[in-house]
Amino acid sequence: MSLPDFVSQLDALVSEAEQSFADAQSAEQLEAARIEFLGAKAGRLKAVQKLLGSVAVGDKPAAGKRLNEVKSAIESAFQAASERLENVVEEVCDETFDATLPGTSWTTGRIHPITQTILLLKDIMGRLGFTPVEGPEIEDSWHNFDALNVPTIHPARDPLDNFYLASAQLWGNGSSGGADMLRSQTSTVQIRTMQQRQPPLRIISLGRVYRPDTADETHYPMFHQMEGLMVDRGVTMSDLKTVLRLFATAYLGNSVPVRFRPSFFPFTEPSVEVDYYWNGRWVEFGGAGMVDPNVFQAVGYDPEQVTGFAFGLGVERLCMIRHGIRDIRDLYTNDVRFLAQF
Amino acid sequence: MIVSWKWLQRYINLNQLSDAEVAERLSLSGLNHESTQALAGDWAIDLEVTSNRPDCLAHVGVAREIGVLFDRPLQVPDPQPSVSGPAIQSLTSVQVDCPELCPRYTARLIRGVKIGPSPAWLQELLANATGDPTQFKSINNVADITNFVMLECGQPLHAFDFDQLREQRIVVRAANEGEVLEAIDHKTYSLQAGMCVIADAQRPVALAGIMGGAATEITERTVNVLIESAEFAPGSVRHTSRRLKLSSDSSYRFERTVDPVGIDWASRRCCQLILEHCGGQLCSGVIDVGAAPIARAPIRFRLDQIARILGIEIPPATVRRILEALGLHIESEPNGNQVWLATPPAWRRDLSREADLVEEVARIHGYDKIPEDHAVPMAVSQTTPLDISSQRVRGVLTAAGLSEALSPSLVPAVLSDLYSPWSTAATLSTLQPMLGVLDTKFWNNAGPVDCVRRSLIPSLLELRRINEFRHNLPVELFEIAKVYLPGETFPVEPTMIGVCSGRSLLDMKSVMAEVFATIQRSLKVRVEVVQDSFFSPGRGLRYWIGEQVFGLLGEISRSTQKKMKLRQTCVVGEFFLESLVQVLQVIPQAQRQSLYPAIERDLNFILDTKVRWSELESTVRAVGGVLLENVAYRETYVDAKRDGEGKKRVLLTMTLRSLDETLTGKQADDICQKVIGACAEKLAAKLVAG
Repeated sequence: MSLPDFVSQLDALVSEAEQSFADAQSAEQLEAARIEFLGAKAGRLKAVQKLLGSVAVGDKPAAGKRLNEVKSAIESAFQAASERLENVVEEVCDETFDATLPGTSWTTGRIHPITQTILLLKDIMGRLGFTPVEGPEIEDSWHNFDALNVPTIHPARDPLDNFYLASAQLWGNGSSGGADMLRSQTSTVQIRTMQQRQPPLRIISLGRVYRPDTADETHYPMFHQMEGLMVDRGVTMSDLKTVLRLFATAYLGNSVPVRFRPSFFPFTEPSVEVDYYWNGRWVEFGGAGMVDPNVFQAVGYDPEQVTGFAFGLGVERLCMIRHGIRDIRDLYTNDVRFLAQF
Repeated sequence: MIVSWKWLQRYINLNQLSDAEVAERLSLSGLNHESTQALAGDWAIDLEVTSNRPDCLAHVGVAREIGVLFDRPLQVPDPQPSVSGPAIQSLTSVQVDCPELCPRYTARLIRGVKIGPSPAWLQELLANATGDPTQFKSINNVADITNFVMLECGQPLHAFDFDQLREQRIVVRAANEGEVLEAIDHKTYSLQAGMCVIADAQRPVALAGIMGGAATEITERTVNVLIESAEFAPGSVRHTSRRLKLSSDSSYRFERTVDPVGIDWASRRCCQLILEHCGGQLCSGVIDVGAAPIARAPIRFRLDQIARILGIEIPPATVRRILEALGLHIESEPNGNQVWLATPPAWRRDLSREADLVEEVARIHGYDKIPEDHAVPMAVSQTTPLDISSQRVRGVLTAAGLSEALSPSLVPAVLSDLYSPWSTAATLSTLQPMLGVLDTKFWNNAGPVDCVRRSLIPSLLELRRINEFRHNLPVELFEIAKVYLPGETFPVEPTMIGVCSGRSLLDMKSVMAEVFATIQRSLKVRVEVVQDSFFSPGRGLRYWIGEQVFGLLGEISRSTQKKMKLRQTCVVGEFFLESLVQVLQVIPQAQRQSLYPAIERDLNFILDTKVRWSELESTVRAVGGVLLENVAYRETYVDAKRDGEGKKRVLLTMTLRSLDETLTGKQADDICQKVIGACAEKLAAKLVAG
């Protein structure tokens, strides 16, 4: 046999063996392939090895060298295949298992949509430098009205329009020196904060407020407000408009038109109503204004030295428009199907 | 306030102005435009008038605003009705017994009027000013004229049939309790002491400032008419109106105060129109009881305050034009530079201070002229520990499957009394109840919702009941809200975390343990079993941090379940958020973790049934030393045959690990022996053999 014939047989053998070992899918198949190619008695390598005798003497060293290379190549291919198959576990498909079944029950709870709205408002105001402050919900009428420049005879104080405490003195008696009502606005917290701290101030207060409207689709006797206050030397209405414009843009997005128009609140002067244009009409966003000098005097600030602005908005309305909630009562019935939507 | 475009043109030239343009400018200067109705040859424009601007509850007032905005002159009539009758004082008298309720009362008398339909132009304007002419019903010429004058200048008027007044005189007084009056709406009202009435010599004939009485109203037979133009105390009118549930265009205006100078103008204007359209002779003079209007004091106005408050400069000439057009009289302060003395007109009671004038200038000049891209100084804000804590609590509770609820702070007594773990003081209650917040189909006898809640637990049980009723299971809820514990002058208002769950007590306990761990990883919380009939016996826990109680968790008792008509039992808990804020670790700190494997050792003890796990665990921990990483409960097994009555087996696993080395079996065995010894000594625990 000529050397080239011998070498070509060897080459065919190595490529066949490598292919067989790579194709083996189980230990059994690999063993069969091993016997076929590397079997001690009738393996194909053995058979080719026997042909070495018929190669011309002069070609024998080259043929032997080639044979050894092929032998080691086949053995290493076998080794790689057996290592590959070592981690394969024979598995039977369980036909009764249905992977298209729904996942097993696992639910997370949801944060109330009002809280979510409050967190968003706090987040936006936080970016503008406003820090949350807390205050009592059961107040005295001095903080709820007098300090906010609401005159003693103002309709807002009417007993039918407020939750006065049964233990408190009635309307018209002025300050009783203790808690006498559920606060009707979060502005009370501004007053308490200004009494305790000196300017500059940049605060927001958020929380529950109470007015005795009978609950219906659009009213609830308890609701939430956000109130903001900035006081310093040299704060102007231009600061007010800038901060509220930034706030509105952050909350509503860049494309929503916003307008500022005059309004009336006892505790601000000038007063502003902020509207945004939504679904073809102007919707009230919130009220604001420059802090009335009487409010500064009530808390012991000198209105000749400092100026400031305050703003307030109702959380429910924002939350309801945001989430498409049609009935305010849904927010406080707490049907778990309702809550699960947010 | 609905204004008729046509009517406005009696006082101002609106040529070349569109209704939309005017409405827009009015909106942006303080009279918010609600809607415009197109009528035959007219527009009815509905404007929202804030409570400080009663002068704009009239066509003249709105025309004045338009005049200021568009720089057009205003023409207001100057009524000088001709007098031809005897002096009014010779025919009637007015006595005001209650000047605090009625500061001023004027009367004029016209004799020999002819009652009939009012002229077409008058009917048309009145009809258009309702916004819906089809709904308008003309009364008669005199009544229509009083309404016209009210809508013209804002002063409500009333015309009495003079001959129906007993003794032909007027007494303004406080009503006597139990007096009745049939008003012109033909409803009878029972009056309460203190309400202000217009009476004749014998009986009330009108509810002052609200509505006239049927007995003295103008009819076809009326010949002599007494015209009332007065001022009534706003608080009194509002109070009476609300008590009687009767409001009118008149009461609406008196509640917001009227122009003191306009009282006489309106009276003269009314008489002029009656003479013109109904005939008759006006008696000379006027009866005018009460204080004459006080001349308005000038307001000192420093022009530099405009820039200080608004952040923009406005030329003094512009400022002057605005204020003068609004009716203010301006003089410069004798030696003041840029300081004016500005006297407001009688109809603007809302202007009394410098700040008020700055606002007037700003709103007419235009809020849109104030820039909204100003460089506001930057400032940092902080998230408060309370907010950090409540967000961590929400994070764990929602991850555990509980949803956040928000429920009303007021509850009915039946819920308030159900459970009050934090205060034994009587609940605070409100004078007004909350209406429409309670499921009255279920709580048909619950009484008013007027108790300020002292605990979140009854509210959460109620929410659970509603959800159960709607077949919304599972119901897993929490709420973070204040409760109100009665105190000396102010109640204490701690913020509570309330939970209500259908899962087991021990499941909820581990959820709460996770809540506490997010507040502070190594927080030591202690529990004790409480005797409390609200909870199922032995299934109520009180929670402590150090020496302070900070919460409760337990499975409700059968009787609680029955009271709340709950189909299933549940676990409720309530914890003081502020107690957690006090121990809040704002920034968790990393601890070095051992790189060596742990050894676990199981110990199976035979114990008295009465021994609590908490005792066993603390005994093990006390002697376990630094190498004891954890003690885990595995199971309890009761086998009376093998261990005897009153005994149980508790299997626990100790995890042992060192920071510095791999522990040997010998080290682990030594710890086990110490633990076994301590448990035997303290708890009479025997290790299960084998």
